Amino acid sequence: MKADAITPLASDFPDAIVVLTPDGQVAHWSSGAQVAFGYSAEEAIGRVFDDLVVPVDRAVEQRKMLIDTLAGGIIAYESVRRRKDGSLLYVDVTTKVLDAADGETPCILSAEKDVTRIKVLRDAKLMEARFRDLLESTPDGIVMANPTGHIVIANTQAERLFGYDPGELRGRSVDLLLPERFRRAHVGHRSNYFLQPRKRSMGSGLDLAGLRKDGTEFPIEISLSPLRTEESEFVMSAIRDISERKSFEHALREKNVELANANQAKDRFLASMSHELRTPLNAIIGFTGTLLMKLPGPLTGDQDKQLRTVQTNARHLLALINDLLDVAKIEAGKVELKIEAVDCREVVEEAVATLRQHAEGKNLQLIVELPDSAVILQTDKRALSQIVLNLVGNAIKFTEAGSVRLRLSRRSRNGSDTNTLIDVQDTGIGIPQEDQARLFSAFSRVGIPHAKTPEGTGLGLHLSQKLAGLLDGEISVVSGNCTGSTFTLTLRGR
Amino acid sequence: MARFLIIEDNPANLELVRYLLEHAGHRVDGAVDGLDGVAAAAAMTPDLVICDLQLPLLDGYGVLRVLRVLPAYARLPIVAVTAFSMPDDRKNVMLAGFDGYLSKPIEPEMFVEFIEAFLPSTLRLQALSRQVEGH
Repeated sequence: MKADAITPLASDFPDAIVVLTPDGQVAHWSSGAQVAFGYSAEEAIGRVFDDLVVPVDRAVEQRKMLIDTLAGGIIAYESVRRRKDGSLLYVDVTTKVLDAADGETPCILSAEKDVTRIKVLRDAKLMEARFRDLLESTPDGIVMANPTGHIVIANTQAERLFGYDPGELRGRSVDLLLPERFRRAHVGHRSNYFLQPRKRSMGSGLDLAGLRKDGTEFPIEISLSPLRTEESEFVMSAIRDISERKSFEHALREKNVELANANQAKDRFLASMSHELRTPLNAIIGFTGTLLMKLPGPLTGDQDKQLRTVQTNARHLLALINDLLDVAKIEAGKVELKIEAVDCREVVEEAVATLRQHAEGKNLQLIVELPDSAVILQTDKRALSQIVLNLVGNAIKFTEAGSVRLRLSRRSRNGSDTNTLIDVQDTGIGIPQEDQARLFSAFSRVGIPHAKTPEGTGLGLHLSQKLAGLLDGEISVVSGNCTGSTFTLTLRGR
Repeated sequence: MARFLIIEDNPANLELVRYLLEHAGHRVDGAVDGLDGVAAAAAMTPDLVICDLQLPLLDGYGVLRVLRVLPAYARLPIVAVTAFSMPDDRKNVMLAGFDGYLSKPIEPEMFVEFIEAFLPSTLRLQALSRQVEGH
């Protein structure tokens, strides 16, 4: 019997009737085969049958069955095929060697019956009996599918989640529950999954969506676990609707963007404010300077004195702007520290060198006590200098007679940790107990009973305390009325 | 004597810089926006340009870019004098290719000396000898 001899018979037959050459090529493809596998006869004939419809994990079985057929004549077995669209189906297969005419090689006739529906319903019945109660007890939607991707059980939560009536999902393809755009990837996922089943979450890091019966989508999270029974292998998907979480995440993201924008707006505002304030100050300080330099001509004593007052106040305004910007930067967390090994002795010596003239101008003694060896600390040199300059500057400013003493020391705290201390002691007017708490607030201006000139910005100690905080330290004060004050900068760490 | 071009949109600040430099014996031209500044640079071929950063029509960075692509001005000293004084501003200015950066408010006592340091060497020598004579 030749391959084309069976054509009239096979064309009416509902099952897939396929004739294969001994090397596995399709020689005949019935209309039933077209219905079952999705390929037309034109597409199928001449192609290798295994490449066309046999899933990778069934290839070995298929090859064995063909060899057995050629050896034994008739073989019946159950297997899985892959349709043109990638979906899988169960088939009952009967193969038979077709008698070959003399000199011709024998062909193989394969009759394949789609038994997916029957098989799924049978599996469903078995699984229902075993797992229904268990599945109903979990809050997640659970969908159990067989290796061909057909739903064997869906619990009530899953039916409700996707909007189906009780029992309506049984036997349907799991693809039904996914939006079109995920389906192709999902088929691939599933085939790979059955090759190497293990518990894992699916689409972690992806935005997966479920598709309801009414066509609407909702964000989901799926976790997959393999389930092996004596009949077959199933995959159990636990599905969670994460709409609420997604909307929280979305709200949070929007809030973050808002905050970032507000932060940027603040930075821009600070930068513009600084720019806009400096521009007129440039003309004020500049022209006051040209007049005081007597470039336009000589000045009377009064003119000179009044211009110096303008200059002092303009410089004060500039210092205020600089300090305010520093405070704003610290509060916005914008200060970039350059942490490196710093010798604190150097910092103290530099501060003393800068301010010595100022102290001598007031006839104050400036006394420095330094340890013999270097005091190395991992810190930011600029910030540390700024603090020391501020403390020593204040001490000189508020001391009318006597001395300002600077002491650098290291003190070990409970054995292991060592603190680095910088004490600045003056013989000034002292700060009343009740004012000491406010000392580090902005613009507090305590201890200046009869300030004649607007010296200082009222931000110096405030700024120094904040900088000390950035350096993992703090400034403390000990002071009594009329006995002078000692400000101590304590820096932790090495 | 050197020829300076000042590009500065604030009239008071333009006047201040002009006054200081003219008083030191230099010749000064002014421009009040970036495009005007580029045109003035082309017309007068200055020895040094002092340029604000925030300028109408073309900002200071734009002025720098335009002048730097013209071979005749590729080596012209251009100093930014700006009220932008955040720590990054100096870095940005120097990275952009300005020869110097000075933040406002300027110190009038130091300004002329600071700026003259950017003059080409022959002019700088002249300026220095004049400073020595003046003292």
